[in-house]
Amino acid sequence: MILVELRKTFRRPRTWATIAVLNALPVLVAVLLVLTDLAPRPGEGPPFLSAVLSNGTLYPLAALAIVLPLFLPIAVAVVAGDAIAGEAQAGTLRYLLARPAGRTRLLVAKLVAVLAFVLVTVLVVAAVGYVIGTTLFEAQPVAGGTSVSGTSLTPEEVAWRTLLAIGYVAVSMLGVAAFALFFSTLTDSPLGATMGALAVLVASSLLFTLDAASPLAPYLPTRYWLSFVDLFREPILWRDVTRGLALQGVYVGALLSAAWASFTTKDITS
Amino acid sequence: MSAVIATRGLVKRYGRLRAVDGIDLDVRAGDVYGFLGANGSGKTTTVRMLLGLVLATSGDIELLGARTARARQRVLPRVGALIEGPASYGHLSGRENLALLDASGPGGSWRTRTRRIAAVLEQVGLGGVGRRPVKAYSLGMRQRLGLAGALLRRPDLLVLDEPTNGLDPQGISEIRALLIDLHRGGTTIFLSSHLLAEVEQLCSRVGVLDRGRLVLQDELATLTAPTGATVVVTPAPEQARALLDGRLTSVTGDRLVVRGSDPAEVNALLVRGGVPVTGLAIERPTLEEVVLARTAASPDRVEAHP
Amino acid sequence: MGGVAAGGRGAVARWAVVAALVGALVALPSLIGALPAADEPVGAVELRAAVLASADVGFSGYAESAGGLALPVTEQLGSVADLFSDRTTMRVWWRGPADNRVDVVTAGGETGIRRDATGTWTWEYERATATRAVLGPLALPAPPDLLPSALGRRLLSEATEREVTRIGARRVAGRNALGLRLVPGQPASSVSHVDVWVDGGTGLPLQVQLFADAADRAAMDTRFLDLDLGTPAAATTAFAPPPGARVRSAQEAEVLLEAGRRIRTVPFPAQLAGLPRRTLQGVPPGIGLYGRGVTLLTVAPLPRRLASGLRTTLAQAPGAVVDGSSVRVAAGPVGLMVVDVPGQGPYVLTGTVTVDALATAAAEVPDLRPAP
Repeated sequence: MILVELRKTFRRPRTWATIAVLNALPVLVAVLLVLTDLAPRPGEGPPFLSAVLSNGTLYPLAALAIVLPLFLPIAVAVVAGDAIAGEAQAGTLRYLLARPAGRTRLLVAKLVAVLAFVLVTVLVVAAVGYVIGTTLFEAQPVAGGTSVSGTSLTPEEVAWRTLLAIGYVAVSMLGVAAFALFFSTLTDSPLGATMGALAVLVASSLLFTLDAASPLAPYLPTRYWLSFVDLFREPILWRDVTRGLALQGVYVGALLSAAWASFTTKDITS
Repeated sequence: MSAVIATRGLVKRYGRLRAVDGIDLDVRAGDVYGFLGANGSGKTTTVRMLLGLVLATSGDIELLGARTARARQRVLPRVGALIEGPASYGHLSGRENLALLDASGPGGSWRTRTRRIAAVLEQVGLGGVGRRPVKAYSLGMRQRLGLAGALLRRPDLLVLDEPTNGLDPQGISEIRALLIDLHRGGTTIFLSSHLLAEVEQLCSRVGVLDRGRLVLQDELATLTAPTGATVVVTPAPEQARALLDGRLTSVTGDRLVVRGSDPAEVNALLVRGGVPVTGLAIERPTLEEVVLARTAASPDRVEAHP
Repeated sequence: MGGVAAGGRGAVARWAVVAALVGALVALPSLIGALPAADEPVGAVELRAAVLASADVGFSGYAESAGGLALPVTEQLGSVADLFSDRTTMRVWWRGPADNRVDVVTAGGETGIRRDATGTWTWEYERATATRAVLGPLALPAPPDLLPSALGRRLLSEATEREVTRIGARRVAGRNALGLRLVPGQPASSVSHVDVWVDGGTGLPLQVQLFADAADRAAMDTRFLDLDLGTPAAATTAFAPPPGARVRSAQEAEVLLEAGRRIRTVPFPAQLAGLPRRTLQGVPPGIGLYGRGVTLLTVAPLPRRLASGLRTTLAQAPGAVVDGSSVRVAAGPVGLMVVDVPGQGPYVLTGTVTVDALATAAAEVPDLRPAP
């Protein structure tokens, strides 16, 4: 069943089109940076972008930081929102369930397919970022790189911290996927599920900037998204990273159990 | 004969509306069961409840001997279904669609999958369809593909909801031949339709649903059994009336209904009296007459309240 | 039978499981936060002494300071104003007053300040710049001054025994913190009280809250969120500019002192608004410093181009009092006043004093009295 869902996801032309569009923005930014040599001013622009001009191996991170606020969550919400609602809209859901693919089993398979999509997407963005970064930008004068705290990092440290960051971004996207998947079990319209998840994220980003909402801030799903930067401090600042992981864990757990309760007790009338 | 589908007091309520209101279906092995009802009478909801898509408000369902929801999930691989029109992934070919559907649940071995798919495609007349994506299929081809999906595992029970939708007359008769063939092979068929003619031509048993209630359920042969009267057609109805006075039950134009189930006797009587007879038959009610007599006005009519 | 009718009951049961799970997860943080704190029988004077002796306690931690002070100042002092109005998060490694590291953490970068025996390195990641500053007599307020440990010590250092009292205990950064309240004795003070929450074992202030007059919300609140006692490794606080970084030396202090030397000297009285004059090494004689502890007042001449901008900004601030040639306003506990006497040039009076005290002080400086 999981294989079936993976096949469905990755045989869709739309999946690859989404990933391609997602990579277009970092590539465009890289080309513009190389042509103009204008780094963003401190405190503005995505993290790591100003560091990229002197060290191309950091471009995978800059690429993730570029797509993280908007593009990546949209892509994840589209795919996850489509999971159940898309089958409902196409009418294939009734055939799957009458086949019978058990409802819990179907939900788990959908979840795994969405996870795989998230992982593949993040990895492709990072890989394309690496290729772009090392071909377009100058290499660091010494091997390795500089941490955010101003200490030197060996190439191995840069590599494994980048891998950790990729993993962290993927986990951050799981929260988005869980919201979209939950909404996807409530409605027969994939667009509605996607929009619902994006509305949550927009609201969360907005509340995060609002001082009056600061008591809510630690619970906002987008609160710790940028904490992957903390992996490049020296020593690594684990505080927000672990909180981010725990928060995503809570959201994913709560939303998936809600999705399960909703989907397994729902009348399929599509 | 054992029950293939048996429901007792099956109810589905949506808020205050009772879409299905306490029906007791009885479909036996070897039946071709015609499930008749106007649009909106609760047919589709009933079919969905049988297949576990819609959860019943109350009542019991027995499907292929399975009584609990869990047990019914286990027997569903032995049921082939076509529910409210076919559905498939448009960007994939028909073959791939069938392979995905087959792999989505238990009871379909992957070893035999390619062979089974080729066989059912041949069976429904899509053997030479090739690799083109389903979105390039015509409505009739999609209907055939849906039917192929239902037949993929040689099911013991076929649940078909409007299976001839979108087919041209040749297609309809092809599918009818296919169903008759399957039935001969031992498959029980549950055919939900609003087309009286289709049911009359195919079915051995009939259930009629009207506004959520099962108003009729019987053998087709019983429903359309001779009434014990003879129909006579004559160009001289007045003469015949004089001759048969007392035995006549109705006269419409040149058509007379005469009590007495022996047409030969009626014919002899009329001929002896010099009345020309142009038509002579045993009176049987049509299915339409039976159904109309038992059901109220179409439920999608919305009458103004005075 | 009844397998079908289980639909309705099953739904309730499933949603109940989900609700219980979510409830447990949501309740977890507040349960941990509700752990009680144990008070210890330590006197206020004793606790204050422990705080003042805590400068050599080694620790590493994570602190957050939230300032509710919206200082109505112009862009030239923007970085200082941000320090008091924004939420600043800092990582600290403290080996001693002359060997420590404070990183101000921002979402996309950080500014690290490493202190060694002879000065500071300031590393700005986003500019890839390392700035060396040699220790001078005068420094503008910097993020390390906002650490609860540093701020607590500074505020308590000049407090008298009569001004401090004990107030209960609470949990800060997962540790027992004993409360110490400082109520300034000067009537001119705009600070109603300062609460310092002190780690019982080491005397390290864990949280400092500064309350303005008639405010129940802290005008400034700085606290540790995580704290590890134990001297961090020397390698953590050491700094060498990374390859590829721009290295420069700081000019700001020099510029400030140079400006100070050039400003004209004003005869300041020995006392203003009841606060005695004090001298601080390195402060040019053209600047008057008054007060003690948390109640401080500064009087300084202003360059004319700075003054007009500041006057306009102050006059637009809520609650500003415009009185002839002067504007004065209170931003939380900080009072600001700009006086522009014809023929004398503009002056600024600022400090943790009330607006009325500012006006009194202005009237007591002979040069600032309007010419008759």
